[in-house]
Amino acid sequence: MTAGQTKHRRVSHGSAPILALEHIVKRYGALTALEDVSLNVNRGEVVCLIGPSGSGKSTLLRCANALETLDGGRILFEGREVHAGDPKSARAVRQRMGMVFQNFELFPHLTVLRNITIGPTTVLRLDPAAAEQRARTLLAKVDLSDKATAYPAALSGGQQQRVAIARALAMEPALMLFDEPTSALDPETVGEVLTVMKALADEGTTMVVVTHEMDFARRVGDWIVVFDKGRIIEEGPPKQIFETTTVARTREFLSHLGWHGESTLEAADVAPLDKEDIAR
Amino acid sequence: MNLDWSVVWDNLPRFWDGALMTVWLSVVTMALAIPGGLVLAFMRLSKVRVVAKSATAFVEFFRATPLILQIYWIYYVLPAYFDVQLSQMTTAIVGLVCNISSFNSETFRAGIVSIRLGQWNAGRAIGMTDRQVMVRIVLPQALMRVLPAFATTWVSLFKDTSLVSIISVADLSYVSLKIRTESFRIFEVLTAMAAIYWMMGYPQAKLVDWLHRRYRVAE
Repeated sequence: MTAGQTKHRRVSHGSAPILALEHIVKRYGALTALEDVSLNVNRGEVVCLIGPSGSGKSTLLRCANALETLDGGRILFEGREVHAGDPKSARAVRQRMGMVFQNFELFPHLTVLRNITIGPTTVLRLDPAAAEQRARTLLAKVDLSDKATAYPAALSGGQQQRVAIARALAMEPALMLFDEPTSALDPETVGEVLTVMKALADEGTTMVVVTHEMDFARRVGDWIVVFDKGRIIEEGPPKQIFETTTVARTREFLSHLGWHGESTLEAADVAPLDKEDIAR
Repeated sequence: MNLDWSVVWDNLPRFWDGALMTVWLSVVTMALAIPGGLVLAFMRLSKVRVVAKSATAFVEFFRATPLILQIYWIYYVLPAYFDVQLSQMTTAIVGLVCNISSFNSETFRAGIVSIRLGQWNAGRAIGMTDRQVMVRIVLPQALMRVLPAFATTWVSLFKDTSLVSIISVADLSYVSLKIRTESFRIFEVLTAMAAIYWMMGYPQAKLVDWLHRRYRVAE
């Protein structure tokens, strides 16, 4: 079974997808990172990209955000084609698309507050007072109001990632991209980041999340896309992917992560991590 | 040994003027060599090959030849063969600025390329232009990172200004050597000269150490 079985109903609210990838191809020398990948993201949807490391998920996000040029196909964002090679077009896209990186990539020479205001003040030309107001609201939202004057190095990984989320939100993006946002975190701080992300999803934020947190994908994702070797091997609602998949490769990938179908799923429901960190 | 330190006290105003000239030369040179070094560094990082190559040629020439030769060349060769006669002071400044700009450009370039690509992507991801990322994100971190190397160049410059005495620019070296010739008090004059250089140079080195501790970017 391959991409042929993608005909599932999705909530698109009757409007065109906010992000449409059409047959995109991305190569690095001899390596093909993405091979004929097509994917739609609708407004208000949380799309989770899962699959083995090196299967092209992160590359897809970087392409969507015009950080990489394409070797084939095209990307439409809010109905307009993204041209990564054209700085103006790339900037127009990035201003409307927030991105959260695996390694946070906060600006270490700036305070937390300045990390969040620098985008709005330099790119959107927002006046500093308004930008600071916006930043403080966002800091409250990610529960870090007391860290406004701290420098990133003084924060834990989970705190840094929450600041990075606030920094992206400060641009008031139409779409948020998360590139393995919890992969570089200590286990005990993963939950606080996922909690923030779940809250965003609950507010209706449109999100594309590359993740290895299967529990998050299952609970928060509206649509799950499984990658392998630069291709989409299956996509569908969480129930299909995690409970009733008939694609052998999907099942194999999930079992490598310790995911063994429905029975384990029930056990996971009562695992402490769910109750304390995600459902908090 | 029969020492007579009065030669030092009697000539204090001249030592003072020489020291002022040394400080002035250093400050003016560095004030020009910082932008000069940045321009050369940006040129070397340029994607336009001819721009990068010409900056490389300039830098490698001035780094690999002695400053004293550069000063002689500007002072004696330019007028003889190219009909360009610069004053002693201008010669001194031009020679020093070309030389120090070259060293600065290497320092700045090393700092800039040491900032990881993720910082560029983070800046671009919030919609910044590459120029904004460079000026607001990369350069501030790069400059703090290379401050110790930059300080080494500064202290070298401070001492290397002594080379301009060969074309009669009245810096501390020139004045000291002149007093020595007039008075024949070699030990006293050269000791005073060393003491004055040290008293000026040492606090600078300490100041930079302090700046680096104070403003280091933690990561």
